[in-house]
Amino acid sequence: MDQEIDSFISFKLGEEYFAISVSKVLNILQLVQITKVPTAPEYMKGVINLRGTVLPIIDIRMKFGMDPIQYQRDTVILVLNVQIENENVDAGILVDSVKEVFEIKKEEVLPPPGIGSKYKSKFVDGIYKMSDDRFVMLLDIDKIFSSDEMVMLKETADSEESANAQQIE
Amino acid sequence: MDNFQSKFLEEAGDLINQLEQALLTLEQDTDNPALVDSIFRIMHSLKGGGGMFGFENISNYTHKMENMYDLVRQKKLKVTREMLDVTFESADHITSMLNDDGSKTDAIAANEVILNKRIDAILNGDSEQDEMVSPAAAATEKSEGVETYYVKVKPYERIQQNGTNPFFLIDELAGLGKNKANIFYSNIPDFENFVFDETYIWWEMILATDKGEDAIRDVFIFVEDDCEVTIDKIADADIFPMEGIEPLLVCRHDFPFDLEKIKSLAGAVTALEKAKQEKAAKEADAGDEHIKKFTKESSISGIRVASEKIDQLMNLVSELITTQAGLNLYADNHKSNELTRITESLENISRQLRDTAFSITLIPIDYLVVRFRRLVRDLSREVGKEIIFDARGAETELDKTLIEGLSEPLMHILRNSIDHGIETAEERKAKGKPPEGKIILQAYYSGSQVVIAVTDDGKGMDLDKIRNKAIDRGLINGDEQLSEKEILDLIFLPGFSTSDKVTNISGRGVGMDVVKRKVSDIRGTVSVSTEKDEGTTITIKLPLTLSIIDGMLVRIANTDYIIPLSVIDTIFAVEHTKIEKSFNNIINIEGVQYPFYYLRDEFGIEGEKPEREEIIMVKYDDKKIGIVVDHITGEYQAVLKPLGKMYRQEDVFSGASILGDGTVALVLDTHKVINQFTKYNDN
Repeated sequence: MDQEIDSFISFKLGEEYFAISVSKVLNILQLVQITKVPTAPEYMKGVINLRGTVLPIIDIRMKFGMDPIQYQRDTVILVLNVQIENENVDAGILVDSVKEVFEIKKEEVLPPPGIGSKYKSKFVDGIYKMSDDRFVMLLDIDKIFSSDEMVMLKETADSEESANAQQIE
Repeated sequence: MDNFQSKFLEEAGDLINQLEQALLTLEQDTDNPALVDSIFRIMHSLKGGGGMFGFENISNYTHKMENMYDLVRQKKLKVTREMLDVTFESADHITSMLNDDGSKTDAIAANEVILNKRIDAILNGDSEQDEMVSPAAAATEKSEGVETYYVKVKPYERIQQNGTNPFFLIDELAGLGKNKANIFYSNIPDFENFVFDETYIWWEMILATDKGEDAIRDVFIFVEDDCEVTIDKIADADIFPMEGIEPLLVCRHDFPFDLEKIKSLAGAVTALEKAKQEKAAKEADAGDEHIKKFTKESSISGIRVASEKIDQLMNLVSELITTQAGLNLYADNHKSNELTRITESLENISRQLRDTAFSITLIPIDYLVVRFRRLVRDLSREVGKEIIFDARGAETELDKTLIEGLSEPLMHILRNSIDHGIETAEERKAKGKPPEGKIILQAYYSGSQVVIAVTDDGKGMDLDKIRNKAIDRGLINGDEQLSEKEILDLIFLPGFSTSDKVTNISGRGVGMDVVKRKVSDIRGTVSVSTEKDEGTTITIKLPLTLSIIDGMLVRIANTDYIIPLSVIDTIFAVEHTKIEKSFNNIINIEGVQYPFYYLRDEFGIEGEKPEREEIIMVKYDDKKIGIVVDHITGEYQAVLKPLGKMYRQEDVFSGASILGDGTVALVLDTHKVINQFTKYNDN
């Protein structure tokens, strides 16, 4: 059996929990002033200065079809290294709060649900059940960054959040 | 591949460049011995370096070329067209071997067989009456002009650490003629002190050669600093056949030759005395000449620095400039005379450091011109046109990355001129023009820009033909009224190509739109002007450097923007009401009508508009167009940072820059701003 152990970092968007492999995360930053880039799409919030380089900041909530982020005390920037078209790119995503780093065994990961899921399965690597019985979605962040598509399925557009997603599209 | 090998490859590339340059000049001036010499030297360097760093193929091949030019040097061969052609092709051949890390693919090997045959033909063509077996054999068999030398080679212990195998040196030395050599092992240390890559042995050699002392010195050209070489002339003749010399030339390792005896026996003592006196006088001259030659070469070529180091230097300078901005801000907020004084003098130094550091990254356009000469030469022959290529201002310097980016578009422009621009000799005669066409590449500075213009004296572009083609292709409507400039701009549109047939010269399907795109990739602009039957000029304008610009820091709402100073003409303060009242984005300032863009609106920035705003007149081609911002902060040295892949769609910004307080300002490309919003508003 595959006993491989992976570390993930979990964060909250709205009331839902997501997680990204720790190997993708470079840094967690407190919110700083973001310079908006006019003419860019709305979910691209702008750029910040990360130790002398210019880092693009993405409102990942909008990519998921949720309302634009409201800055709060817990809002942080997760600095990620993602692969876009075979190129490594650093980018920051805004999340409502970071929860914890946890280790999971590969065998404990449940496959992404096909039918009836709220999110497109190609963006989800799997689902993991936390010790407190909450489910956390393990995201394939490279695919999310490479695709112009919304992460949320349009077919299940019955919630208020996904209605917003359609507006953005 | 190890470090030395890649260094050799790099150097070999430079040598090939020099070779082409020398060949092109030799073509014009076939009797110039200095050029033949320099070609010979290049071949020799390639051979030596190739052998030393394990590129046997290159070493073997250049050996033949070296022989050929050696014969020319000795006036046994004359420079012919065929010889030049073969050498040009050999340069390509060596380049392709270099590109393959010195190995031979089947195609390269096949090519080499063909080239070898041609070289042999050239060599044999002359040897009919001379019966020359091979140059090497000729060298040893002819006793005329043979001199005998004593050569002592004492490599320093470190010699192998530079990738030199001293045995190769001795081999090469032995290749010069008849010889006897002694090896000295006495310096080899005890086993425990022995370091495997250090060299302890040394040689002495009695060498009879007709190649002269310079040839012996040439062997050590790469290792001058790594070994001690003594060259002493024993006799003006070959001493090996002399009677009774044999016992004196027996190799007994660790026992030196008895030079005195050899010399006296050779009966050369008297001759030598005489020669010595002459030599003493000559040596003073020759020594001077040598020194002159070396200092001249080194003052031209300078030092070779890895480009990563330069990149690192540039990054540090960039950081310094950013930190400097932080200090300026701090000094402004703390009104202290002393602090202000120090900050100002520090800023002065940073500015100078910036300029000096940037000048390091600049290389002359000449670097490209050599390649273009070759291209024009080859292509014009292919299409059967006589074309003179003239490069002016090749010493104009440009950023390294810009030079790289320019190569392809310029190549394309030249191809177009050769293929479509210049007429055939008959057509030209009929028009009363000189039969040979002319292409002039001209480079010069203009303010903060570099201008590169390619002019041909060909048939020029046919405006009607361009117009009709654009209508055919659906790029414009048939009833559209266009100015001459607008018609000419059509050739830069994707999907436009004036040539009906595809040739392998102007390429397949790629047109001027590619040129335009490549040039805009390096933040440049292209324009064209043409006169029927007089010719066409294509002008490329480029910024001097890519990474630091002098800019004007401006503000809209709570965001900072930087506009390059080079595009700013004038700045006026205006009341917002005046902008509000203006009609069709035209504003009247001091009696002149200016079109303008209100950036707040164009960028969709909300919020309260200030009562007084600033209108910056920027240069747009030959027009001045206003850009309205909230507030002008002041001049600013901006270190350009890329916005990155995710913002590549937003090309109205050429980058970003980090301000003294750590926030990010966006650098506006006013040309693109105007283009984009003009299009947007037209739609």
